[in-house]
Amino acid sequence: MHSVFDPASPQARAVAHLWWWMFGVGAAVWLAVMAAMLLSLRRRRAVRGPDELMQPAPGMDSHIERVVKAATFVTVLILIGFLAFDFSIGRILAQQPVDPLTIELTGHQWWWEVQYANQDLSQRIVTANEMHVPVGQPVRFILRSRDVIHSFWMPNLTGKRDLIPGYQSTIWFQADTAGTYRGQCAEFCGLQHAKMALTIIAQPKAQYQLWYAAAVSAQTEPADSTLLYGQRIFMTSGCSVCHAISGTQAYSTVGPNLTHFKSRTLIASGTLPNTRENVARWVLNPQAIKPGTQMPPSPLSTDQLSALVTYLETLK
Amino acid sequence: MTGPNTNRTLPVEATVAEDDIERDARALETVWGERPGFWSWLTTVDHKTLGKRLIVTAFLMFIAGGIEAALMRAQLSRPENSLIGPDRYNQLFTTHGTTMMFLFAVPIMTAMGLYFVPLMIGARSLAFPRLNAFGYWNFVVAVVFLYVSLFVNTGPDVGWFAYVPLSGPQYSPGHRVDVWAQVVTFTEISALCGAVNVIVTAFKMRAPGMTVNRIPIFVWAQLVVAFMIVFAMPAVATGSTLMLATDRAVSMHWFNPSEGGDALLWQHVFWFFGHPEVYIIFLPALGMITPIIETFCRRKVFGYTPIVMANITTAFFAFGLWVHHMFATPIPELGQSLFTAASILIAIPTGIQIFCWLATMWISRPQLTVPILFVLGFLFTFVNGGITGVMLASVAFDKQAHDTFFVVAHLHYVLLGGGVMPLFGAFYFWFPKMTGRKLSETLGKWHFWLFVIGVNVTFFPMHILGLEGMPRRVYTYLADTGWGPLNLVASIGAATIAISVLLFVINVIVTMRRPVNAGANPWNSSGLEWSVASPPPSYNFLYAPLVESRHPLWDISVDLPVLTGFRTDRREVLVTTTFSAQPDSRHEGPTPSIWPLYLALCMGVVFIGSIFSPWFVLGGVGLSVIGLAGWGWTGSKPSGHERVSTPAAMPERA
Amino acid sequence: MKSLRVAGTVGDLPTVTFGSRSLMWWGTLGFMVIEGWTTAIILAAYLYIRQNYETWPPLRTPYPSLLIPTINLALLLLSIIPAVFVARAAKRLDERRLKRWLVVLSVACLIPLVIRWWELWALNTRWDTTAYGSAAWTIVGFHTSLLLLDVIDTLGLTLFYFIKPMPVKSFSDASDNSFYWYFTVGGWVVIYLIVYVGPRIL
Repeated sequence: MHSVFDPASPQARAVAHLWWWMFGVGAAVWLAVMAAMLLSLRRRRAVRGPDELMQPAPGMDSHIERVVKAATFVTVLILIGFLAFDFSIGRILAQQPVDPLTIELTGHQWWWEVQYANQDLSQRIVTANEMHVPVGQPVRFILRSRDVIHSFWMPNLTGKRDLIPGYQSTIWFQADTAGTYRGQCAEFCGLQHAKMALTIIAQPKAQYQLWYAAAVSAQTEPADSTLLYGQRIFMTSGCSVCHAISGTQAYSTVGPNLTHFKSRTLIASGTLPNTRENVARWVLNPQAIKPGTQMPPSPLSTDQLSALVTYLETLK
Repeated sequence: MTGPNTNRTLPVEATVAEDDIERDARALETVWGERPGFWSWLTTVDHKTLGKRLIVTAFLMFIAGGIEAALMRAQLSRPENSLIGPDRYNQLFTTHGTTMMFLFAVPIMTAMGLYFVPLMIGARSLAFPRLNAFGYWNFVVAVVFLYVSLFVNTGPDVGWFAYVPLSGPQYSPGHRVDVWAQVVTFTEISALCGAVNVIVTAFKMRAPGMTVNRIPIFVWAQLVVAFMIVFAMPAVATGSTLMLATDRAVSMHWFNPSEGGDALLWQHVFWFFGHPEVYIIFLPALGMITPIIETFCRRKVFGYTPIVMANITTAFFAFGLWVHHMFATPIPELGQSLFTAASILIAIPTGIQIFCWLATMWISRPQLTVPILFVLGFLFTFVNGGITGVMLASVAFDKQAHDTFFVVAHLHYVLLGGGVMPLFGAFYFWFPKMTGRKLSETLGKWHFWLFVIGVNVTFFPMHILGLEGMPRRVYTYLADTGWGPLNLVASIGAATIAISVLLFVINVIVTMRRPVNAGANPWNSSGLEWSVASPPPSYNFLYAPLVESRHPLWDISVDLPVLTGFRTDRREVLVTTTFSAQPDSRHEGPTPSIWPLYLALCMGVVFIGSIFSPWFVLGGVGLSVIGLAGWGWTGSKPSGHERVSTPAAMPERA
Repeated sequence: MKSLRVAGTVGDLPTVTFGSRSLMWWGTLGFMVIEGWTTAIILAAYLYIRQNYETWPPLRTPYPSLLIPTINLALLLLSIIPAVFVARAAKRLDERRLKRWLVVLSVACLIPLVIRWWELWALNTRWDTTAYGSAAWTIVGFHTSLLLLDVIDTLGLTLFYFIKPMPVKSFSDASDNSFYWYFTVGGWVVIYLIVYVGPRIL
């Protein structure tokens, strides 16, 4: 699920291919050096053995010189070969995508803001930490940071790219195998750098479009009284100060967008599975799960918490 | 009799009688010797005393950094472990890196140079003994400052390279990062003082006849590294003291993108230093390998000139690689390719050195003493690290491996394999010279095997962990990542390393209780340092040795010829010409002085005070003026008849 | 103990030398290389920041003024004259002339140091307004620290010559002090051109 050895895109596959060649040649070189080292001990002396100095012999020295020169020459050849191979891989990876899906990713301490770009504003999606991409279509990410340097890394799909405040960078890949892929922030960004994971779900085009259509829609007003109560708690207990739910009065962009919260498989930037129990634990005291996170604890009674979580469970 | 050509053996014309030798030795011991007592301890300017002190202090830092590592490995040994929380962990990994890189590795390599370069070139002292003391005390200020801060929960927590904006005023309020920035300032001052000392000593104080192509390879390595320090350290000092500290203290905007600053500027400035830094650690270790191989293979090393050229080439190349730390950032790809090429090609000079050593061992009959074992451990471990380094030079691959445990594996393989293993070998080799006793071979072998096995068990799994998605600097990880088992293996390896280092410490303690019995040249080695007693007398060399080859003690069948005629009523050292090492003048060395310590404390006031208020800076500067006055005053006492040579009187010789 | 063969004597070698024959000269050179390289790095960083702005100086930041900096540059260049005379007197071992020129040099390098305060403000921006301001103040501030160090050194040397008997080797130190002064002034020429004149061109 997050391995360089398990590529799911042509980009990652090219790098994995490069890796196995480097590993093979590297291992062979290391073994050769070890063999030379061990063989050079074949005439070793005891530690308290004879002490006389070896006098250099001119013939021996010129023979050795030829061997050392040959070894250097072979080393240079291997390195130049590697350089050429690496450049060819680089050229493959430098190709620009054709007709990509564009996703804007903004790094925050310690979560990922995801926006699916679209000229048509009604077709934009704002979500967090988890995204779906279609199999077989290139996906281009525009990377920015709201605070410190983060790094976007999905080992199965692509090498990493830093999100640097003041800069905008791009990276792209094309998922060619459906599946759920995981990555973590790969640039130390503070207290919860360790718990800033990212999930990408690659789906066949048809399923992706179904997901997209659902994700674009706003939430409707709840009918049930418990749900209304839960929504009211959301609006009045501080949640709406940071979180937005499209179709309601909550539209803050400080924290992750929760419009389709329940459709995500994990919460707290990939830290816990999205179950009722985990959501309750997280809302009550996020500091116990991610100490230092920006989200404060919520002093809610058991009833209030239960209603709130029930409401959140409807945000599919 | 000091002819211009000292390249051939001069006929025996005179000898110094045994009585005169004893009289001169006693006089020199009076002039150069250190009195016992606390004041003498504070004011010493003896390079051997200060060198040993620096080695011990830096080794204590190795242990401190090791404890930090042990705590981290304990926390990471299981997924979602709750031994150490994120805040403590971040301080631990930052202090571990800062300690190992700034307070252990560079200082200990410098210390070996400050101790041994004068002895290896036949000099009685360093060029600037008080500057040496000043450098040491600045180092002590850094150590105390960092560790006191750590213990009061103000340890830096942004990684040893402190990327902005995380380390800037907005995202790191408080003083933790200021501590880091000033620790860098003090260690930079210390390293630069050491570097200037090594360069001038090696250029101007070599024994007569030690021409440039007779300089021992250990000294070449130290000299090359001293130049690297001169050109690399200013970059990190500029970054941390003049840019980061000022952004934080007086609201400068070097790294603030909303006022035209640039987060990448920090990375350029830091890594311009940071990459040469690792070669500053690595090259002295390589310089230690040659004398060890020569001694225990009983043969002059094959390829003196290629080895020296390889050192110099590596040093130059090292300044052209820094962007390979930034391949994941949005810098132009054409530029990145140049750094890929340089990062790959730097393997060639190092490879040449390794081939020369293998060749030397192949055609000779090596003795498997503990120093040689550590050289073998170096080959086993470092070659692995060098190969992963070449892999990381590929931009495409680096983008997968960067900032993961793959890099942690690589860097520890090259630093522990390429730096620490030769260093341990050097300790076993030169311990008798420094202390007059040989370390136990048996304990040494246990130390060796546990260390090499420990290093490999700890760090090999990390290659896999990195490629399986585990990033660096994480205080914990989820169970379903599958990273648990290999992390546990790594932690067991770390415990093994700890045991091996403990064995070394025990070896040292036990050995120091034995009587001094090693003799001047217990290994029958060839360098000038083995021609004096173990430990060396305070004045190193009674007279100036005349050098006629690269391996003075092996190429002369009787005692070395010497030049006499020094004054014995003051500390006199010989200054020679730069390239051909012909005797040129005599220089009076300084006596013990409190001013280096005083000035280092003033530096403490200035730079630590700057974190809190500009008045400390002003006050500190004022106090420093007193120190400079004292230094200058005590260094300008007339002392008897001088022979002066002005430019008009005698033309300069090369 | 065996007796040692003597291949020569060092007894007739000089004990005080000048220039590259002297250890202190090399130490001074080392310090100059380090500080000069540091200056180069800060200047490179200053120029790096340039790419983050469309205009240089940034919008709403005036050009650094040239009047006081140019006057001070002239004073610094003039101060090389007494420095040369100090070095000459030192190499001739002429203590009387040395003391005289040391006094002149002390005054000649103190005045620019004092004027340096106004020179900083002549940058016409604060260090905490923009990255441009930060960079300009850092370079000038750094050079000021070198200037201050050499003024302290010169004043100290001058004072010592008047209040205590000085050893012969101090002539060599006086000569090295002038050597360092040339570097301090020379480095400033580069900084003046890049920081005060440069924005009008870059």
